Order: sequence, then structure tokens, then C-alpha cells
Amino acid sequence: MAIIEAVGLRKVFRSIEREPGLRGAVAALFARSYAEKVAVDDVSFALEPGELVGYIGPNGAGKSTTIKMLTGILVPTAGTLRVAGIVPHADRIANAANIGVVFGQRSQLYWDLPLRESFELLRSIYDVPRERYLRNMKHFAEILDLERFLGTPVRQLSLGERMRGDFAAAMLHDPLIVYLDEPTIGLDVVAKEAIREFIATVNRERGTTVILTTHDLADVERLSRRIILIDEGRVIYDGPLERLREEYGTHRTLVVTLADAYPEIAVPGAEVESREANVVRLRFNRRQLTAEALIRRVTERYQIVDVAIIEPDIESIVRRIYLEGYHDGVIGAPS
Amino acid sequence: MTALPAVQPRRFRLEPYLHFARTAMAREATYRFDVFTSIASVLVRVYLLRMVWIALYSRNAAPHDLPLHAIITYSTVALLMSLVMDIDQTRLLYEKLHDGSIATDFMKPISVPLYFFSDGTGEVLFHATLIVPSLVFALLIVHIDVPGPLVLAVFFVSFLLGYLVGFCINFIMNCIAFWTLEIHAARLIVTWVSDLFGGEIIPLVIFPAFLQKLAFALPFAAMFSTPLLIYVGVIKPDRYAEALGLHLLWALVLGTIATLAWRAGAKRVVVQGG
Repeated sequence: MAIIEAVGLRKVFRSIEREPGLRGAVAALFARSYAEKVAVDDVSFALEPGELVGYIGPNGAGKSTTIKMLTGILVPTAGTLRVAGIVPHADRIANAANIGVVFGQRSQLYWDLPLRESFELLRSIYDVPRERYLRNMKHFAEILDLERFLGTPVRQLSLGERMRGDFAAAMLHDPLIVYLDEPTIGLDVVAKEAIREFIATVNRERGTTVILTTHDLADVERLSRRIILIDEGRVIYDGPLERLREEYGTHRTLVVTLADAYPEIAVPGAEVESREANVVRLRFNRRQLTAEALIRRVTERYQIVDVAIIEPDIESIVRRIYLEGYHDGVIGAPS
Repeated sequence: MTALPAVQPRRFRLEPYLHFARTAMAREATYRFDVFTSIASVLVRVYLLRMVWIALYSRNAAPHDLPLHAIITYSTVALLMSLVMDIDQTRLLYEKLHDGSIATDFMKPISVPLYFFSDGTGEVLFHATLIVPSLVFALLIVHIDVPGPLVLAVFFVSFLLGYLVGFCINFIMNCIAFWTLEIHAARLIVTWVSDLFGGEIIPLVIFPAFLQKLAFALPFAAMFSTPLLIYVGVIKPDRYAEALGLHLLWALVLGTIATLAWRAGAKRVVVQGG
């Protein structure tokens, strides 16, 4: 049985439209015209308990709006939504008890208080039994290395420390589901890895269902098998990460270092992507040409010193989809 | 494996709200400099107002029901009350609307307005404890009259109702941020009007007659004027029922407006986004 089920979810915002300049600003004080913006348009998906899904899309695609509807603080304009059997906006408080939320750009910790007191406060908000609270705190303090700054007021924490605190805060009451909205934004590589490790551990050991929105596709590659791609409010792909890679990652790049400064480079079956001095990048379709065949063609024509093959990363695949749209047309559930 | 929980009927738990209030008290206590400056500022104002009233009374005939010792008592008690009355205890609502962080509060299993109420009450309770040391020091500067136990009791009830009225006025003012995000002008107006018509500095009974009528028709009089006039004996026991009744009425009216403002604002958040 699905733990999260969204069917035909839609959200339309109304905003004030204003003529530019001072005149427009003054005119808007008296007579207003409104513009409608469709933030989420007919979004449907279902998640099984324990799934970890990457919810990906460019800025303004509707990711945060979807998350806000899932948490119950936004009412959908149309469509239905069930989270662990509850309609979030109809029963916000009951829904809130089941979920944990982390926003990379916003903290839920209490700014003026030492970190430890934020946790104590959350314990009484979520009514976590003392014994379970202590057990969870001990566990989180270990994997997130919190001990050092538990007594520090939140406003004095570094971003990395604050994020680790926020993760522990979101998981303290053992939520069934956690929504992570760009949780690694602005973090250094070490902190990023610590956070990713924590997400993976929680998902694996506690069976927590996770929806992860991020712009850092390395998060997704490291953590989730399934991704949902959203653009302009619509789901354009829902399925395994691997399938996307196979369908879209058809082009590899051969990086060739030439022995001589040839004035012009041309190899049949490959396209010169870029050239810097003697280093040439050749893009080719792996379905039409093997790497071995391409290397042979290059060596027949030019003297080379070195070669390397670059596989398409998920980042470039997704970038291509943002720019060109998803052409498969099949919006399928994971097989 | 995660099992879906049965949807349980929710029971109201007081514990988180007590915790919010305690936390707010602890938070206020961390600003030690603030604590000392607010006591010092009360004492300076007690001294200055005493000088002003002595100067004014030496050149004018005293109003018959407010002799010099009564007016000095009035302004000193008013300043002690201001330690809690002048706090905008729901400013957190404005701040959270302004920076958008109210969204995270709505994602918690709590009643959000009750959270603001608890936090504000905790803050006020902490500042209320400052009244005692301020009073002790103020007694070194001025002599204040102490009425009998009945008058004191009615004064405290009136003070409490006045606090509720003040809470509602602040809450409504901060709710404006649901629509405008910025409430600077509204706050200036409320501060200005309540300073003038609340009776904190100048007793309303020495206003010209038409201004008195206006001032007593506004809710601001409930905040300082009514409790203070009870304290100094201008409002006599035969008018207690009327005075407290009016208080209660204002508390109910403003409480209703505050509730409606909150509901409309919260609805706007869920429809239009944080």
C-alpha cells in the first residue's frame, strides 16, 4: 500500500500584476489586476513505504509547492493527496506528527537557545517518550557528531553544524516520512557527505520514506534509485535513475591528447565538442560507434599521446532534459 | 518495515505550551543587559515624572481628586506596569511572517496561535518579575500610596484584563503582516494612540471634557487608565462593576477580532503560500 499518493495535484497562485515604475506602483494601490500562475499542474505519483525518491527540477518547477502541499500548509487547488492515510491540509496536526522536514535554507531550530534545548522542546512538541528520546539522541549525536556543540546557541553554529542539528531535529520523533528540501545547499564536501550518509542510514535502518529535492544531482546519484523529474509544474519523468541514464546517456566523450598541433581535426562519426591546444573532446553516440572503433579512426589520422573516455553524468543528462524536454513521452511508474 | 499508524483521536496536551512559555522566560533571561537597562529606565522615568508633576502642581491648582501624592503614585505604578504592558509579546508573529519561517511552525503538530500566546506569556512573566526590584528601588526615590486589600485586589483583576486587551491589540496589529508583511506604520500609530489615550503618562481625567469622552470610549483606556484610577481611588467601589464589565467587554470584542484576523491570515497562508 502506498504511503504517499498524489493524484492530479494542481496548485494555482494568484499574484498582483503591476505596471512598471512609480506610476504602476501608485496605480496598484487603488486598482489591482491579478495574474494566475500554475505552480503545480496535474502531478500524480505514489510512494511505497521505505522508498527514497529524488524530486528534481529546475528553479520554479514546482518542487517546493509540492512539498508544502505534502506537509499540509498549502491547500491544493485541485487533485487529491493522501499521506499515511491522512489528507494533509484537512488534518494538518495529525499529518505533522507523521512527518519530519528539513529545509536547507531555513532552520526549524530555536535561534536563541542552545541546540540541546531545541531538542528538548521538540521532544515535548512531538510527545516522544523520554527513553526513546535519549536513545535517538545518543544515536544521532554519534553519527552526526553533535556532542561538541550541543550547548552552543543555534545562531552561533556554522552552516554545517546547524544542518546536522536540523537533521537530528527532524528525525527525533521517528517520523514515517521525511521531506528534505535542498538539504545540502551551501555545504562543503565533507559536510555534504556526512549528511548523505545520515540520510542513507535513516532510510536503510529505520525504513523512513524520504522525498529529496535538490539541485545537487550528486545527492540523487548517491542516494536514490528512483527519480521524479518535474518541469513547469508537470511530471516529465518518473522512474529508475538507471533508465534515464540509459535512454539519455547515449553520448560519451572521448578526450584525446594529440602529439602534434594539427590545424584542423575531423573524425567521421564524432563531433568536436571543444578543443584546447592539443586536447580535443570528441562526442559520439555509443549506440552507433564503439569507443574502440572511434579510437582506431583517430589514430589512423593523427598521432596521439593519451586518451580518456568520459561517461555521461546525471547532471548533463538532466541539463539536456531541462533544455530539450523529455522525448520518450512515457511517464511510467517504476517497473 | 514501516507500518502505517492507525489514526488516533488527538488529545490536547498542555505540556508543549508550558514548555514554550518556560523557554521564552529562559530566552529573555539570557539578555541580561536588557534586564538591567529596563529597570534603570523605569527608575529614571519615575524620577523625571516626579519632577515634572511637582513643577506643574506648584504653578497650578491641583485637581480636587488627584492631589500631588496621588498623581505621583499614579505615574510610578504606571511605570511599573509598563514593564509588562509595553512589551509587544506577539512580535514573534510579525517576525516569522516577515522572514517566512512561520511555515516551519505550521509543519509541527501544535496550535500555532497558542504557541505565540505561550511564548508571549512566558516573555511577559519574566518581565513581571522585574517589577519587584524596580518597586524596591522606586521607593527610595518616591513615596507611593498603598490602598486597602479590596482596592488592591480589584486593581490586579483590572490589570489582568487590561493585559488581555493589550495582548489582543498587539496580536491584531501583528496579524496585519499576513497581508502587508510590513507593519511599521501600523505599529507607530498604535504606539502613539495608546500612549496618548491609554493614560500611561497623563491621567485621562485631566484631559479636556471632549477628549475624555473619546479616550474613555476607546479600548486603550483599559490598559493603564482603568486599573490606575482604581488604584488611586478616582474610580470608587460603586463603579467597580461598571469598570470591570467594560474591561471584559473590550477583552471579548478584541479577542473576537483577533481570532477572525488570525483565521483570515492563516487561510491566506494556506491558499497563497508562506
